[in-house]
Amino acid sequence: MFADFRSDQNFITIIFSLIISFVFLASAVYIFASFRELFFLRQKHDPSTYFNTMMVFFLLLFFSNLLTAIDPEFDYPKNAFYVVSLILISINSLRIAWIAFLVKKQKVYLLILSIVLSILFGFNFALTLEDNALSQVIINFSPGFHSLLNLLMIYGTIYFGVIFFTTLFHLPTAEAFDRKAEEVTSLRDLTKLVTEVLDFKELAKTITNVTTRICNSDSAWLVIINDENYELSSVNNIGYLEADKLSKKILEDKDIEIESLVTLNQETVEVSIKNDFRKFNFSWIAIAPLKVHENKKGYLFAARKRDYEFDYDDKKAIESFSDYASVALENAILIEKSIEKERLEKELDVARDVQYKILPTKVPEYDSLQLSALFVPAFEVGGDYYDFFNIDSNNLGIVIADVSGKGISAAFIMAEIKGVFSSLAKVIMNPKKLLVKANEILSESLDSKTFVTAIYGIVNLETGQFTFARCGHSPLIVITDGESKRFTPTGMGLGLDDSDMFESTLKEMEIQLKNGDILALYTDGIPESQNALNEEFGYERFEKILIDNAQSDTEKISNKIMEQLTIFSKDYEQHDDITLLIMKWNFNNKKSGKVNG
Amino acid sequence: MADFNVNVRGLGSVSVIDVKGYLDAHTAPQLENAFNQLINKNNYKVVVNFNDLSYISSAGLGVFMAYVETMRENKGDIKFSNMQDSVFNIFDLLGFPMLYEFYGDEKEAVNKFEKPE
Repeated sequence: MFADFRSDQNFITIIFSLIISFVFLASAVYIFASFRELFFLRQKHDPSTYFNTMMVFFLLLFFSNLLTAIDPEFDYPKNAFYVVSLILISINSLRIAWIAFLVKKQKVYLLILSIVLSILFGFNFALTLEDNALSQVIINFSPGFHSLLNLLMIYGTIYFGVIFFTTLFHLPTAEAFDRKAEEVTSLRDLTKLVTEVLDFKELAKTITNVTTRICNSDSAWLVIINDENYELSSVNNIGYLEADKLSKKILEDKDIEIESLVTLNQETVEVSIKNDFRKFNFSWIAIAPLKVHENKKGYLFAARKRDYEFDYDDKKAIESFSDYASVALENAILIEKSIEKERLEKELDVARDVQYKILPTKVPEYDSLQLSALFVPAFEVGGDYYDFFNIDSNNLGIVIADVSGKGISAAFIMAEIKGVFSSLAKVIMNPKKLLVKANEILSESLDSKTFVTAIYGIVNLETGQFTFARCGHSPLIVITDGESKRFTPTGMGLGLDDSDMFESTLKEMEIQLKNGDILALYTDGIPESQNALNEEFGYERFEKILIDNAQSDTEKISNKIMEQLTIFSKDYEQHDDITLLIMKWNFNNKKSGKVNG
Repeated sequence: MADFNVNVRGLGSVSVIDVKGYLDAHTAPQLENAFNQLINKNNYKVVVNFNDLSYISSAGLGVFMAYVETMRENKGDIKFSNMQDSVFNIFDLLGFPMLYEFYGDEKEAVNKFEKPE
């Protein structure tokens, strides 16, 4: 019965010991796994070799217990493995770089936790050494496991001890480190924002926010220079009025030059809104310029109420934030420009469309007069205009005009001129009178800096008489008998003067055409065409082509001129519209035409 | 891009504007600014010295047309001097010599303001 009791008790003890042992085994595995995880935390290089070596020695120690079990004298391998394991534990315990990445609050928490754990592990380690019931149970279960448990407790003690001291030494710098970490994060966020957010105001808000936070300032604001005016983009922790007043006070002070970051001491601003009088006193203000292509486009302000100066790090941070603001601002400006450019291009399309609709689609055909018209618009639409009016069966009115200025406004003036000329051509048979009337009408409607040059002439299709007057326009060129003549009767541009002076100075001229004579009417786009060397095409080249090709028909002459012009200015963009009207008088054709008809 | 420069000098009661380079639609606003500033200071007697101007476009010509009336209404004028032939030809073709006074030398133009005949 006693024996029964003994065996029963034994049985219970064994079960109990086994349970204890397994609990310990499970805890040991869990603790070891946790250590392993901590060990690999935030490691820059792969440290697995160190850890694996340590594990190998743990195992060696474990199995070396078998040797001592065979022969208790044979214990030096066990001791050797134990010492090596201890060394490896110490080395591995130093891998705790992750502490640096904790914020201050976490570090304080870790400090307390690590000292508690270190003491607990130390206490347990002492327990495994002592000859108590618990360690007996484990030794009976497995001497190897006992050794491992022992090592694990040492590992814990050393590891948490190291953590405790490291954290302790890290604690004073924790705040600075936190700030740096936040700075890095903010910069990363800003980089993302700069590329994603196209609205500058939105970005300015973030930038002032971050500046206040990172640079230990009480307020921050961003000022943009817009047409020489200072414009507040965003404020943080300060009112618009106050920030506006303070920035103007500083920026308009001639003694303060802000080429790079500048700090100012003691700045006060007083603001009264109705009866609410407020006074702001900043001990320190830092101002960083926003530079886009070396031009100052704005300023970033950071202001501090407490009396300690912005240190090196603060200044660096403010500078980098102002750089980000510059980039964002530049982006915003570029986008605005491209939108503006698109708008202008659309406008030019409209202008070009208007121009094409205004110009005649067909050139009239006569037996006695060969006619051809050539028009090449410039990218930036000029205001060239030409037209033909069938006054009666014997008389053809011809006009060529050039509106000063370009683009949509020039196109609209063209439209007006077409209206003026086509209505006047039907009622006034005299070129000078017609142009005087046109000047009267246009002087009223044109703005003071716009004028129109023109030549208006009438060809008598029976007699070959060409009567014309010139208003500031390029000379009429006539090629006769292989020679070129330029006709420049006096006359001011339309819209230049609204007094009688226009009429009194305008001369009308009459030319009698002979068979084979060529008349050229054109706009200054031809003689003023430039090549890459900034040389002008000029009159000599123009007239030479006309003379050389006088025998050809008008269409061919026009094409020849355009061909030579293109060759001449091939490396240069065409700046102005080019219009060319070529007429050739050939009365013989008419006669034969009549006979045949 | 061709350069353009404006410089304003005071010469007694007369202001002299030196223009340099290319005067076209893109650079004309600079010249307009100079005229606006003179008007703000009630300086209506202006001589424009064209000595260093190599090109003028129709937009450039328009600037003088826009301001000449204001000057004349206030007993002043815009007179031109030291023009290169190529630039003068453009003014001439348009009939400017019938409306504006042109002088070979800046001094002549200034004297004309001070001792009108």
